[in-house]
Amino acid sequence: MPTLRPTLHLDRLGAVIAVLIGVALFAAPFVTYRANRIVAGEGRLLTDALPPAGVTGVLIVVLGVTLCAALARKLLVRLGAAALGLCVIFPAVGWSAGFVTPSGNTFARVSPSVGFWLLALAFALLAADALTRLHFGPWARLAALAAAAGALALLLLSGAWNDLSLMKEYANRADSFWREARQHLWLAFGSMAAACLVGLPLGMVAHRIGRLRAAILQGLNIVQTIPSIALFGILIAPLGYLAAHVPLAAALGIRGIGAAPAFIALFLYSLLPIVANTVAGLSQVPAAVTDAARGMGMSARQRLLQVEWPLALPVVLAGIRIVLVQNLGLATVAALIGGGGFGTFVFQGIGQTAIDLVLLGAIPTVALSFAAAVILDAVIDLTQRGAHDRD
Amino acid sequence: MSPRSIILRASALLLLATFIAAPQLFAFAFEPLTVNNAPAIYNQSSLLTLTVSHLRTVFLATLASTVLAIALAIFVTRPAGREFLPLSRSLMNIGQTFPPVAVLAIAVPLVGFGEKPTLIALFLYGLLPIFENTLTGLMEVSPRTLEAARGMGMNARQRLVQVELPLALPLILAGIRLSVIISLGTATIGSTVAAKGLGEVIIAGLQSNNVAFILQGGLVVALLAVLIHDGLGLAERMAARKLGRSADEVS
Amino acid sequence: MIEIEHLTKRYGADIVVDDVSFTVEEGEIAVVVGTSGAGKSTLLRMINRLVVPNAGRVLIDGQDTATVPEDELRHRIGYVIQGYGLFPHRDVAHNIATVPRLLGWDRKRIANRVEELLDLFQLDPGEFAQKFPHQLSGGQQQRVGVARALAAKPALLLMDEPFGSLDPVIRGKAQDDLLAIQRRLGTTIVLVTHDMNEAFHLGDRIAVMDQARLLQYATPAALLAHPAEAFVEQLVGTAERPFRLLSLVTVQEAMEQGNAEGEPLPLSASLRDALSQLIWRGREALPVADASGALVGRISIDAILRRGRSLA
Repeated sequence: MPTLRPTLHLDRLGAVIAVLIGVALFAAPFVTYRANRIVAGEGRLLTDALPPAGVTGVLIVVLGVTLCAALARKLLVRLGAAALGLCVIFPAVGWSAGFVTPSGNTFARVSPSVGFWLLALAFALLAADALTRLHFGPWARLAALAAAAGALALLLLSGAWNDLSLMKEYANRADSFWREARQHLWLAFGSMAAACLVGLPLGMVAHRIGRLRAAILQGLNIVQTIPSIALFGILIAPLGYLAAHVPLAAALGIRGIGAAPAFIALFLYSLLPIVANTVAGLSQVPAAVTDAARGMGMSARQRLLQVEWPLALPVVLAGIRIVLVQNLGLATVAALIGGGGFGTFVFQGIGQTAIDLVLLGAIPTVALSFAAAVILDAVIDLTQRGAHDRD
Repeated sequence: MSPRSIILRASALLLLATFIAAPQLFAFAFEPLTVNNAPAIYNQSSLLTLTVSHLRTVFLATLASTVLAIALAIFVTRPAGREFLPLSRSLMNIGQTFPPVAVLAIAVPLVGFGEKPTLIALFLYGLLPIFENTLTGLMEVSPRTLEAARGMGMNARQRLVQVELPLALPLILAGIRLSVIISLGTATIGSTVAAKGLGEVIIAGLQSNNVAFILQGGLVVALLAVLIHDGLGLAERMAARKLGRSADEVS
Repeated sequence: MIEIEHLTKRYGADIVVDDVSFTVEEGEIAVVVGTSGAGKSTLLRMINRLVVPNAGRVLIDGQDTATVPEDELRHRIGYVIQGYGLFPHRDVAHNIATVPRLLGWDRKRIANRVEELLDLFQLDPGEFAQKFPHQLSGGQQQRVGVARALAAKPALLLMDEPFGSLDPVIRGKAQDDLLAIQRRLGTTIVLVTHDMNEAFHLGDRIAVMDQARLLQYATPAALLAHPAEAFVEQLVGTAERPFRLLSLVTVQEAMEQGNAEGEPLPLSASLRDALSQLIWRGREALPVADASGALVGRISIDAILRRGRSLA
């Protein structure tokens, strides 16, 4: 316990972070330089990746953060240090790209390399540890997320990263990027909304009728087990048939290949968490509470709306969180069957062995899932206010 | 298990085995889906070979993630590793927001095409559910049981091996099952990075616009996943029954 | 006045309540007592129709409850259960306001009523109105549960083991508080318990149930003096009987003229408590004071014994 420790205490996580940073600074390349988009690259250590003044500046900050990680015990100080570290290395890698690229060369590509990612990982670990132990309330977590999103937007809009290969890939596809982004969101959120429309009433029915419950949940469980491409594949055949033989279906844009099977598959995957959590949420409402509600003369409707739903809501939302994170990830696979979304870049990138193109698809997907998880966790905490042990 | 469910499982298994071993027997069912005299049954390599290598990839990756995840979960629940417990939980939460495809895609440029990126992605992503469930299982062992074990003179190692791990076993198995199911799916996508597996059939169908391939690949993978899921579920229920709990408490 | 007439409830072949009839007068507390599984709770739940009887009827002030829509009926009857069933997602004020809101009272009237009830139950509105149930102690939850049941000023209050989850020390205090509030409001109460002491402490009349049947319905004194069946006798406890009888009589009724040494006893104390004090303090007699503290007489061991023998 803190009071029993000597004043100069070496934090064990800090030690791990210090090792990561040490490797990142002196043994791993900070950026990779390639003469063109797809040839193999050569690594540049931090010391060669920036002008001398920049190297000194980055080193001072990074070493300062390392000291904080190893010695500082105030969580806010550790969090601040991590944030500072991230705020320095992200622009620095953009700056480095400009510095490393020979002037006038439009083919050369510079990407963040192992050293950069290790530094980012080290600072992120430090931040995650501090945030975990700070036990921020829901609003504070949302504010932290907004701050991080704001910082990221500022970084991208300021043009600091324009010389990086990732942003060059983006610049070449700015139009299709936003189109695929819309498609990705439509697939993930649209299928979730459809699943809510069907799943919430289905969950209520399953809660009421015991015999149906087992059958519904087992059926959905089997659907959930089927790997995504396999389910896409199974849906392609009947949808293709439908498109070929029912003119209306074709007119509605339903085709064997494309967004329709992806949307339907995501919808089916979403049903299990929503139905299962609706059932779980409703059945954990204490019997004494529903009995009291009945005894006070609440009608079935009033009980459902004023007592059962509010009490089940956190559990239902937990199901929706699972669905959202799952859908945002699975929507990536939709690209394989022509369904669009960020997966388009991922699979194109794999095809061209262009890692930056892969990242152009992967990073927004991860960022969206992460943001969705943080936001829904906060919302769940807010709806739980009073219902559970939170002071 | 009721006789009906035994018959259902046995016939599903038989169907799958027959299809994998002798797919031509089923060609008639897929022919209507083909156009321009395309083959009705995938013929680039045998379904049997693909199934075996698919399962091998999943098995190896799961084995590795099981060993590491259990070791990590034990570490962070011992006094020496407690400091890392909160952090490891948040990392686990964050890790789950990474789609498996992204992990797979990012591994390719680092290690090249083929089996390797798939193994790495399966291994990394497979860690999460096993770690989470082992952690939950270990933390849920009642303090009174542990106190009794200490009172009987068991040392830390004996408590772990004879009390904590056996009690956590059903949950650990549930984690492994989840991990295997995710891996089966991700390994299917692995075919896009040239790993040998059943995804190849679906991908080939997509590339040559052959719905018969897409459907048979999808059906084989789906049936395989459902059967494996079910089989591992049986193992879990047996483990749970040994502890005198109902299976519902576990899953 | 509550008239229960031939109430019967069957589940399949099981008879849970078998032809039970009794009447509770306005402003009285009727306690239904019996072993678990005797059908007490089912009987209570038939009064507000949470359970629909197979036969028989309940009249409240002459009106058959079957003729009133269920929800409307329940709005008029307070209901308190073991564990209270407070809504965990609503703070204390909202919990208490439940039925007034269902009845569509205006905001101001509800706020006034909530404050009035919190005061009545000695819960400071400033401190407690915004608290959530999980932030309250067991005793506070119990008081909120009763306050919620009384919110719409019901003439009848049904209580099913309302003190069952309290520890013995708090339970005694909660029972005294309930009695005081009941005397003040004049609410008719039907209360179910398996605790005989609670029945004697609270009941104006006690209904003893066993195996779905009502064995006896009488005042506590009559129950002790003339138990109708062996089961009732066993339940009231033969050895305990004199002490239970003494607990039904106040000091006022056995007081003598004169004075005595020591700390005075209140007029309202039961003879059982007075005897206990006399034995413990090692005295033959103690002075008696009225509510204002003025000495009005004395109570002696002899007088208590005489009185006890005359009751038996």
